[in-house]
Amino acid sequence: MRTMLVWATGALALAGIPQAALANGWNMPVGVTDVSRDIYSLHMVIFWICVVIGVLVFGAMFYSLFRYRRSQGASAAQFHEHTTVEVIWTAIPLLILIGMALPATATLRTMYDASQADLDVMVTGQQWRWRYEYLGEEVAFTSNLGTPREQIAGGDEKGENYLLEVDEPLVLPVGQKVRLLMTSDDVVHSWWVPDLAVKQDAIPGFVNENWVRINEPGIYRGQCAELCGRDHGFMPVVVEAVEPEQFDQWLAQRKEAATQAAMGIDREWGLDELMTRGEKVYGSICASCHQPDGSGSPPTFPALAGNQAMLDERARHIDTVVNGVSGTAMPAFRSTLNPVEIAAVITWERNAWGNETGDIVQPSEIAEQLSE
Amino acid sequence: MWRVIKSVLAAFFGVQKEARRREDFGRGDGRAFIVAGIVMGVVLVVLVALIAHLAAG
Repeated sequence: MRTMLVWATGALALAGIPQAALANGWNMPVGVTDVSRDIYSLHMVIFWICVVIGVLVFGAMFYSLFRYRRSQGASAAQFHEHTTVEVIWTAIPLLILIGMALPATATLRTMYDASQADLDVMVTGQQWRWRYEYLGEEVAFTSNLGTPREQIAGGDEKGENYLLEVDEPLVLPVGQKVRLLMTSDDVVHSWWVPDLAVKQDAIPGFVNENWVRINEPGIYRGQCAELCGRDHGFMPVVVEAVEPEQFDQWLAQRKEAATQAAMGIDREWGLDELMTRGEKVYGSICASCHQPDGSGSPPTFPALAGNQAMLDERARHIDTVVNGVSGTAMPAFRSTLNPVEIAAVITWERNAWGNETGDIVQPSEIAEQLSE
Repeated sequence: MWRVIKSVLAAFFGVQKEARRREDFGRGDGRAFIVAGIVMGVVLVVLVALIAHLAAG
């Protein structure tokens, strides 16, 4: 009876360990997806099966060692072959293994079913950063290490998310099935975020599939899990999960920025390129009323060549093209032309046909005015 | 024939009665066991593949 008590106490002590380990972050995280929760409970169920087997087997062994020791006059039983016992100790592990395989297979099936995704994101590993491309949305960017070099090599104090922070996180909507297509530009990388239960190799020449449906908004951090060269430890993964409405907003913003960058709104334009572009726009849009030589058809269509009022007031000139003049034939071009075209045509009008003001109107200036 | 199959199944499972083993080894010709072993090995592989296929489908 006393021996039983010892074993019971031992088992309780064992039972206490995982709870403490979980609180200390020693255990795997529960995570924030259904799959990660499934994996966690599988892990815990199998862990407890192992604990029970361990306690029973080692308990029986140590009990026998102690109870039937030689100093107490025990002598070994000499027998060979007991088919029933052999069948039982072969069949029980078999049943336990099948019992563990059934839920594990069900979870694996869910994990591998990347079909019917709401959103596709291409994840490309590069030495040493991740590139994310929202397929069909024309939004793509690279996500670089955000930790300052001074914290790594210098004497600066290390931040809370040291080596687990990036300049631009992967933004994903919560509650939606997001398919992650993984590949690499150079060597094998592995995209690993423990809270999402995703660890997927990114292999050059292959496209691996995985998927994630995040339940809770938040920031989830991970890192490259495949030794990929010198800066392997400096290409973390940061996923920012936001509400779908917020995600749509973010995506629209990124798309807008991408189109603007494609048009060249974000850069400084020179006089010559604006004049070349402006001449074309003028010819196709303005010349029918204001005439190719800028002479206009007064009084309905004023002349632009030598129009001193126009040349003196740059701001009003811009306003006239952008917003039109109410009560006259001059329409607003704010939605017909893009900022580059508007800037170019105004620059043209202020420098053509002897209008030599030398004024340059930058597309960024127009874009700013349009967004007001 | 049935005896051979039963002995091969026992070998797959890993448990055999000593009396049976003596009987089998007393036959003097092992070819039937080798052939049955190979055939049933193939059957086992096909069976496992089939179950895996069903589970994945």
